[in-house]
Amino acid sequence: MPARFFLLAILLFSLPALSSSATSIDEIAKKAELAQNANQLNQAIELYRQGVRQQPSWSQGWWALGTLLYDQDRFLEAKLAFRRFVSVAPKPGPGLAFLGLCEYETRDYDQALKHFRAWADRGWSGTMELIDVSTFHFALLLTREGKFVEALYLLAGEAEKSHSGSLLIEGMGLASLRMRAVPEGYPAEQREMVWLAGKSAFYAASNPPAYPQATEYANRLLQHYSDRPNVHYYVGTLWKFQDRNEDAAKEFQKELQISPKHAPAMIESARLALDDNRVEDAATLARNACTIEPQNSEAHRVYGQVLLNEKKYEETARELEIAKRLAPDSAPIRFQLATAYRRLGRSQDAKRESEAFDLLKDKQMVIASPEEKLGKNPRLLK
Amino acid sequence: MKRSFSIFLYAASALLLSGQLAGQSTHAAAQRPTFEQVAKDADQARAENEDEEAIRLYRQALELKPEWQEGLWYLSALLYEKERYPEARDTLRRFMALETNAGPGWALLGMSEFQCREYTRALDHLQRAMLLGMGDRKDMVQTVTTTVAELLIRFERYDDSLNLLFRMLGTGTDKTLILDPVGLAALRMPMLPSEIPADRRELVRMAGEGSFASQTPQFKDTDKTFKEMEEKYPNEPGVHFLYGVYLMDLRPDDAVRELKRELEISPSHVPARLRLAEVHIQNQEFDQALALAQEAVKLEPEYPSAHLILGEAEMAKGDSAEGIKELELARTKQPATPRVHWDLVRAYTAAGRTEDAKHEKEMIEQLSRTNSGNDTVPAEGSGDARPQ
Repeated sequence: MPARFFLLAILLFSLPALSSSATSIDEIAKKAELAQNANQLNQAIELYRQGVRQQPSWSQGWWALGTLLYDQDRFLEAKLAFRRFVSVAPKPGPGLAFLGLCEYETRDYDQALKHFRAWADRGWSGTMELIDVSTFHFALLLTREGKFVEALYLLAGEAEKSHSGSLLIEGMGLASLRMRAVPEGYPAEQREMVWLAGKSAFYAASNPPAYPQATEYANRLLQHYSDRPNVHYYVGTLWKFQDRNEDAAKEFQKELQISPKHAPAMIESARLALDDNRVEDAATLARNACTIEPQNSEAHRVYGQVLLNEKKYEETARELEIAKRLAPDSAPIRFQLATAYRRLGRSQDAKRESEAFDLLKDKQMVIASPEEKLGKNPRLLK
Repeated sequence: MKRSFSIFLYAASALLLSGQLAGQSTHAAAQRPTFEQVAKDADQARAENEDEEAIRLYRQALELKPEWQEGLWYLSALLYEKERYPEARDTLRRFMALETNAGPGWALLGMSEFQCREYTRALDHLQRAMLLGMGDRKDMVQTVTTTVAELLIRFERYDDSLNLLFRMLGTGTDKTLILDPVGLAALRMPMLPSEIPADRRELVRMAGEGSFASQTPQFKDTDKTFKEMEEKYPNEPGVHFLYGVYLMDLRPDDAVRELKRELEISPSHVPARLRLAEVHIQNQEFDQALALAQEAVKLEPEYPSAHLILGEAEMAKGDSAEGIKELELARTKQPATPRVHWDLVRAYTAAGRTEDAKHEKEMIEQLSRTNSGNDTVPAEGSGDARPQ
């Protein structure tokens, strides 16, 4: 997704008055600006290079240099400029996003994800275009890291805005099929499968959801790829969105035949079983999910739900406390835990959990650190 | 997947022959003897096919003089030849920042990006190469044009791709080189030839063969190929649409049956709806035409042909205000399509807007002049507006 941010970036960071001691920097900045305005970009780059060599703490210079290089797709060089920018700028916000983008383009994915996270923690700042492009790449990297739900949450936001680009479809396909890969890096023979899942997910995430089209592509996915892992899981999720719970349960079951240790399919099956009052089935599935993925907070949550349903409050609290440790920012976990504590007569604990729930309930899927969501309150983080 | 390595060699010489780069090293040499020596050694190593040594020396020279264009160019070309595409790409990006009007440079950059699977940028840069021109070397133009056509398919711009591919056929391109892309575009499968699933290779081949045959006088071959395709793959999306489009002028009733069958298999197939709407307009069944065209617009609001056919249906039904509105939308989305302008000439005339009608006629003349002078660059939505 080549973006042309340059003008916006310059507007965002129009050069402020420089200190009186930096006369030569001032001159350089003026000359560089003139060169930019005359579309002499290479000359402007050279001038900014000269400026930052002379004064390495000149954050505006690093910013201008970085954006100019970025605009020419010279990501290796832009990355170095933004790295310097974020180290000297008092408010590096959008610089972190640019740095993440440059690192993505140079396939330095781990660093890119780290910087997108830092950017998000600082409030997702930047122009609308920068936010869109960065959010999209952030989501691709979350998929690569296996954070599929978070990735889909971000991508769905783009789909809602009707950004129906080919890359968005591909990104949604990878996340929906739980493939830890970026669009540039998965096997060519899986292209159709990813595209079909992506189209389906895109239509399901549109505003309003276009379920007939989502279903059409899901059926095509099943027609050719019903033996591949995660396909039935995705389709089951889609049916569940449409309240086709019986069909969904069948799809999760098929997924478990193909991938017997598929914890997310077990969790969804357990939920459906619970809705259906098949408490024993739900308990078995949830317990198995906890065994297979002990670090999966949703597995513990659903098991906690089963235990709550069975009125085993002590065990419920124990299970949900594990879930809370794994995902302190999950609103439903905090809500259920409050319920369990109330049943146990632990009113202070229940109150604390309710407070946490109130803070979290509108931020459920927002990608930010638990500290960010809970207002850095140590009592609620405990 | 490596593509036509010979293109960069040609590109290198083309750029040098054009005089854009010649003489720079000599000029620089007068000022920097050390650079001159390294540059000379690099050129010599390259001339003697000592590629690795040449790469090393070009890099060394570029450290001394980072903006040495000739060095950047030869280094890129060598890296590309060695299939070191990410390095070639990064070097070319530096080169293109200095030499923004070099068509062969954009071509090589686009091809490097294609190899790195950076398809959005590859398409952008290859199209830029086509706009700027790549000299008269046929194989380079062909490789770039084929790649652009393939990328357009991957981006679901099937009509644009087909227009480009059939134009290539008209200029003597060997059909075997573009058989798979034609098949993919005809079936509306958004993938590169290398991404075709093994169980659909034959289908794509048949669709390509049939589509080619439909462009020639041997109609019986087309019918045979499409029939066979339909028998072998009766439930595959795109198959009945393709056959239906072919039958449209020959056996309209059979065509309608095929298009309806396509809609059973692919309920959101917009071009099938539009072709059916066209049939209804011809048969003066305007309500049915309108309903189908409206559905098409709802399904794909950005698809220019949907607005065109809806506009035609509205006009046919006598609602010129709505008709003109839709046709103007189609014109905005697909300004290079004569059919849109012809429709607007008629619509404006009927509405008594003679000045606007006159303007549309001028646009048609302008387009016809442009089309006779330029047949290589696939502008977005420059197709004939017929949903293919």
